Amino acid sequence: MSFFMSGFFWFLEGALFCIFILAVRAWAEDRSIPMPYWKWISLIVWVFFVGFTLAFIGTSFGEGEPAAAIRGGILFGVIAIISGVGLWRLLKIGNIPGEEEFATATEE
Amino acid sequence: MSDSKPAFNVDRRKFLKVGGATGAAVGGLGMGLFGYAAGKDPNSYLGWQTYEGVNQFFNRKRYEVDKPTYISSGTPRRVDPRVDQIFERRGRFMMQYMRGRQQGLSGPDMFEEPLRSYYRENPEVLELDILNVEEIQPKQRVDSRIYGQQFLLAEAWANAMGAVGPRGPQGPPAENDFPRQRRMMGSRMPGGDQPQGDMPTPPTVRNESGQVDLKDPVQTARLIKKIAHELGSTLVGITKLNPDWVYGYPIRGRGFENLDEPLEIPEHWEYAIVVGTPMSWDPMYANPTYGTSSDAYSRSRIVAARLEAFIKTLGFPARTHVPGTSYDLMVPPIAIDAGLGEQGRHSVMITPELGSNIRPAVITTNIPMAVDKPIDFGVQDFCKHCKVCAENCPSGAIPMGDKVEINGYLRYELNQEKCQNFWNSCLGSMGCRICIACCPYTRKANWLHRTALNVTANDPTNISDKVLTSLQKSFYPGPDPLEYFMPSMGGSNASYREPPWWLKAEDFIHFTPGTGVGP
Ligand code: SF4
Ligand code: SF4
Repeated sequence: MSFFMSGFFWFLEGALFCIFILAVRAWAEDRSIPMPYWKWISLIVWVFFVGFTLAFIGTSFGEGEPAAAIRGGILFGVIAIISGVGLWRLLKIGNIPGEEEFATATEE
Repeated sequence: MSDSKPAFNVDRRKFLKVGGATGAAVGGLGMGLFGYAAGKDPNSYLGWQTYEGVNQFFNRKRYEVDKPTYISSGTPRRVDPRVDQIFERRGRFMMQYMRGRQQGLSGPDMFEEPLRSYYRENPEVLELDILNVEEIQPKQRVDSRIYGQQFLLAEAWANAMGAVGPRGPQGPPAENDFPRQRRMMGSRMPGGDQPQGDMPTPPTVRNESGQVDLKDPVQTARLIKKIAHELGSTLVGITKLNPDWVYGYPIRGRGFENLDEPLEIPEHWEYAIVVGTPMSWDPMYANPTYGTSSDAYSRSRIVAARLEAFIKTLGFPARTHVPGTSYDLMVPPIAIDAGLGEQGRHSVMITPELGSNIRPAVITTNIPMAVDKPIDFGVQDFCKHCKVCAENCPSGAIPMGDKVEINGYLRYELNQEKCQNFWNSCLGSMGCRICIACCPYTRKANWLHRTALNVTANDPTNISDKVLTSLQKSFYPGPDPLEYFMPSMGGSNASYREPPWWLKAEDFIHFTPGTGVGP
């Protein structure tokens, strides 16, 4: 069985995902961006969608369906980018201007 | 100390953030690589690599229904294979047509009954049957000589797979189906000179008819299924035999003497066990020119013959029905009754595991068994919207419209003659099967297609059917249907997908220009 189909691969993916979540939390704290549950849910859904898009592209190439990989990649990729921009704006809701600099200065 | 601590904090937070961004990138790359591995994974080609793999079986329990998804709409009529079964009819047609032509006859008068009346009622069928012998087959022979060399390995593969197979029934059911009785150690035993069922079991476990005393039908069904899997069957289901599915008359090669005498259904055809295996996946996707049904039919035929022997050894009658040795009944509806799948628009059964890529065989018997329930996993609704097979069918045999009543049941009416004429026009391993290859259910058992399957099977709104159908059409295009035809009929011998490397004859064989593989 391929390493990428193994349980250990999913363990590593899970660990990377946890690091990513911790990093987002640190990033939000540093900028004093409040992160209520709906922001976390939107972010996680988006991350899963991006993961799905990448896995879809890979699977389609692996299956010998390059047309599906390209067309699906474009369709889902565009959806991911547009929703990513929307999500970026959503994440910033509640940000107090100037807080970011303040937080950085305090840390330093 | 007080100076260094905040610096350490900053580094740690920065490190975390950089690590998170890197993790996201690596994780994303990992998803792509996972997908590639899943797409390539040979284990997602079900059916021949293992018979009990982790991905092997769809959980049918929650999709079980009391009645099959085909709809009874009138008085059922048993099919008369002499005219309704295309292989049987065309066998008769050939002999009588040639004779009639020599006698200078034409039209339905060239034929004996029941063909004469049938052709009078269905002149368009006669036209297509004549077109097949007068135009299509001669053209195919010429094109094979010119272009056929490209498909030499496909032909060799099909011949190899079809080369092995047990004999068909050697007599009518009353003679063939029962284990032969012989005296052994003073007792009547099954077996005798017939290899099937020849086993010296202690006589005490058998009754007067030589049958073993089975404890429980549920356990017997479990045993039969396990044995079928061990013998190599990918799927197996059991049902009570619905007499509507038995042909009204016997067909050639089944051990019946008088083919014009109605077939009386023997009492011991009480149950039908349906086994089935898929065609090898890569050649199947490269239909019509590289695929073959011989591989799966050969596998299913061997499984069925072995299962017949197993049942006979237990002292019960059994009879195999499978192409190659032909059949006394219609297999797809029986397989549907046995819970293996549902019938699609293309008239082929669709199973959750193998899609339409299954070639089944039936064993009729009376060994007492618990039966399976039919299933409804959403195919009827999906086919209403999908029509991918109808759009890709080169011969136009698959209807775009709704179901119609045929012999007392509502179903999509496949034009067998158009379909068969196209089969006879194809070069290579002969046959078409494009509708099987392009059906969205005929996909590898990987996360992507399994998810799609589960979504359609569980969506009561049918919205997903429409979404997935339009994605299917735009993501998985095939050649223009006209391209599938041979060159003399305006096509280019296209195949739905590229053949696997081991069937590309040009990579292995020196060809002499201008020569081919034709008969
Ligand atoms: S086998 Fe080919 S010709 Fe026949 S119905 Fe399917 S796609 Fe059409
Ligand atoms: S291709 Fe579509 S319409 Fe045809 S049998 Fe398959 S699911 Fe049904």
